Formats: sequence, structure tokens, C-alpha cells
Amino acid sequence: MTATLKTQAAETAEQHAAFEARIVRGEKIEPGDWMPAEYRRQLIRMISQHAHSEVVGMLPEGEWISRAPSLRRKLILMAKVQDEAGHGQYLYHAAETLGAAREELVDALLSGKAKYSSIFNYPTESWADVGMIGWLVDGAAIKNQTMLAGCSYGPYSRAMVRICSEETFHHKQGKEMIVQYAQGTPEQRALAQDALTRWWWPSVMMLGPHDKDSTNSGVMSNWGIKTKSNDQVRQEYLNEHVPELLELGLTLPDADLHQDADGNWIHGPINWDEFWAVVKGQMGLNKERLATRNAAHDDGAWVREAMLAYGERQRAQAAD
Amino acid sequence: MNGVDVHSAQSQDAQAPDTQWPRWEIFKQDTAGKVHQAVGSVHATDPDHALLTARSVFARRPAAVSLWAVREQDIFSVTREELENGQTLPGHSGEVQSYRIFGKKTHKRSMTFVDELGMLEAACPQAALEAARSQFGDELLAWWVIPVSAFVGSPEDAETVESWFAPAKDKTYKQQSAYGVVGKHVSERNPRVKHD
Repeated sequence: MTATLKTQAAETAEQHAAFEARIVRGEKIEPGDWMPAEYRRQLIRMISQHAHSEVVGMLPEGEWISRAPSLRRKLILMAKVQDEAGHGQYLYHAAETLGAAREELVDALLSGKAKYSSIFNYPTESWADVGMIGWLVDGAAIKNQTMLAGCSYGPYSRAMVRICSEETFHHKQGKEMIVQYAQGTPEQRALAQDALTRWWWPSVMMLGPHDKDSTNSGVMSNWGIKTKSNDQVRQEYLNEHVPELLELGLTLPDADLHQDADGNWIHGPINWDEFWAVVKGQMGLNKERLATRNAAHDDGAWVREAMLAYGERQRAQAAD
Repeated sequence: MNGVDVHSAQSQDAQAPDTQWPRWEIFKQDTAGKVHQAVGSVHATDPDHALLTARSVFARRPAAVSLWAVREQDIFSVTREELENGQTLPGHSGEVQSYRIFGKKTHKRSMTFVDELGMLEAACPQAALEAARSQFGDELLAWWVIPVSAFVGSPEDAETVESWFAPAKDKTYKQQSAYGVVGKHVSERNPRVKHD
């Protein structure tokens, strides 16, 4: 499979022009079609990071399954966490169509070599965090993923269409929970406010560096991988979520937040030092998340061995 | 279940560093009467494992009644671009056998890749592809040609279909449609973001 990656015969200007013409025509690039090596590389980088984020994304909320306040909430949360596992699988599949080996990608995550979204290195301190993550973090993710559903690479686009549909459930259940708490007892209201205060900035940051500081954006947009910039997606996120949070009487932890003449919600300065410290694991729960993921992987070893032994026995019996 | 020989298939891939379980492409049928569509792949040790994993990954919602799984090396695939560049499928004439033909028709956004178009008899994958191009139209964007003998399918008895697939639609709490729009909807009053 990796042979595909090594086959980087000289790319001609003619090939590039034909490829870019396909992008302009709105055609999807499919496995087997010619693509620049850099397009393949960028996609593997992006899709695998995305897959890792889904897998690690199970952890902050998974901690709360046993402590859900009702059976309904527990069922919802289990379904949500199961969805994140599924999303990781869809995305590893999409990366495999580009010649990446899933095993190598998984190893890169377990060894700490691979990056994943910084948002999952923040702790979930109360039950209301589950609702706030659904509303804000999944809300921000949907904005990004809706954009990616229109991307030029067929398998990534298809994974995103499926994921967006499922994330909409995550978003709505979180919003429903927070709306209920914001209108509930003083204690519930305080929980909702506390969760908002802690998750607001991380959710604004998770959409990535400002356009002027984003290194990959030119090639990503020319090749139809990203059809909107980080700041455009962030603006969509703010415009949807700010008025709804304010309508509930909750307070956003941004003294500079305001609406401009066009009605767009403008945020104050973002603490990018915090963002990069969390991405690099200098702040937050990076070590704990990887330890949990590694423990889960190791604990599952006997199941994988049993599956393999069972499969081999079935084949031996079929051969007799 | 058919007797797919996993070991000989793995040794063919000996140069690959991939020691993980074999990859299976999965086809899902949403409702009776609809065609099976390629939805993605899973890694699995045997056909039953492939189908059970496929159910967890691809049939959590919205609906399904049947799944098929095929080992990746049993799939002969070609895109329109590859055909234009003169690529062909293996053409060693052998015994005539049945092939299932799948195709991709549009560039529109979709959750699925190729759709089942039908079955035909041919002596080799290339002959099957040529017959398919004349039978199903030459404008398709991608083709998959797969020997019928390579497919394994989920159980078809009503009880198993019910136990495998009913939760996808019966567990309403995990359907986004079970949640009303909470609060005023954004589109009613929020500005459109300018994308220039």
C-alpha cells in the first residue's frame, strides 16, 4: 500500500493543469485518479488528525457515562460516544484510500507522534460539560465538517456527509440539555454558566489559527480541500451560537464581544499561547488522554487475539 | 459463508508492512427494493466479524436491511479517468462466472460511493467491464466489478434482520429528528457570513 506513496514520478505541468481543471469543474477526485503527491500528503495529514480527534474525543465525555443523571441521558451519551468511535473508523477508511495504513496511523496516535484537536485536552469537570461540549464543540465541528463535506476528495467528502448528519444529533442533545439547565434551578443555571465559561474560548480556538497565521491554507483552498478559511468558519460559528447563548441569559467570558455594522459577532483577542501549549501537550490532559487510549488498546489485546484465533479456526474447519 | 482464503491473500501482499486484519468493503441496503451501495470499509478476521463490525460502524442509523462484505482484493475497480488513460482490468479468460457491477453516477454530495447496477456473466473482469459499459452506460465516473462468489451477506431471515437493524430506527433518542429546534432558529435573524 505504501508503494503508492513512493511512486512520485515527476509531476508534469499538464497533469497539474488537468487536475486543477477537474477541481474547478466541481468533480470529485476518487481513489485511482491522478492527484499531486502534495494533495495526497495534505489529505492524509488532515484526515488522520481528524480521525485521531474523533477517537480521543470519546474520552472526555466517556468519563461521564457512569454518572449520567438519568437513563435517557445515559443512553444518549453512550450513543454519542459510540458515534465518535464510528467517525474515527470512517475517517481511517478515507485515509486508507490514499495509501495510508490504518495500523500506522493508530500507532502514531498511541505513541504520541500524531496530533489531534486541542479541545479534547481540556478536562470535563461537571455533568453540564457534556451538554456544553455537544452544543459548542460539536457545533463548531459541524461548521468545519459541513465545509469539508463539499471537499474535492470523494472518500473524505462522503465520510463528512455521514458525520455531519450524526453530529447534528450531538449538537441538538447538548443544546437541549443546556437550555433546560439555563432555565432550571439556580444550581443547574450555575452549572451551565460554569461550563460555558470554561468551554467558550477553547471552542473558539478549535477552529484553528487566524487566516493570516495559517500555513497550509493556500494550497488547501486551491485544491478544493478547504473551501472556507478558518476565520470564515469561526464567524459562522459565532453568528449562530452567540445570540442563542445570550438569549438564555448566560454570560460569555469575552468583554470585547460585540456585533459589527453587518451584524457579525466579533470576538476579543484569542490567547494563542494557550492554544499552542495545549496542542503541544504542555498544558491540559494530553498525557492522561494518551495513557487512557493506550490502556484501552492494551486491554483489548486479548479480544483481538481471540478474534484472530477464531477466524483461523473457521478457515481450518472450512478447509477440512 | 464462502471459503475466502485469507492466508494466500495476505502472502500476495507480502511487500506491504500492513500486519493488520484484512480489509473488507461494505455495501449497505437501506430498505427492501433499493440497491446495495458502497459505504466504506472495515478490518476483520473473518466474514462474520466483517459483517458484525460493519453493522456497528455503518448501520447505527438511519436504516438498513442488509449488508454485504467483500475482501478488498476481490474488487476490480477503475475510474473514468483511468479508462481514458487506457487502463484495463485483468483479462485472462477463465470460466464464465457471475459478476456484480457497481457504478458511480454523479459528483453530487453523498454518503455512498458506487451503487449496485446489476449482474452479468463474463469470462474475466475486463470482459465484465466491457459488457457493463454497453449495458449500463458509458458515462459513469467509477466502476467496481466483483465476482458474485466473493460476497458474504448478513442473514436474511426476518428475525435476524429485525435484531440487527431495527435499533437503527427504533432508538429515537439518537435521531436528530427527535430533537425539536431549541430556541429561535439562527437563519431567522442572523447575518449571512460573507465569503469573498
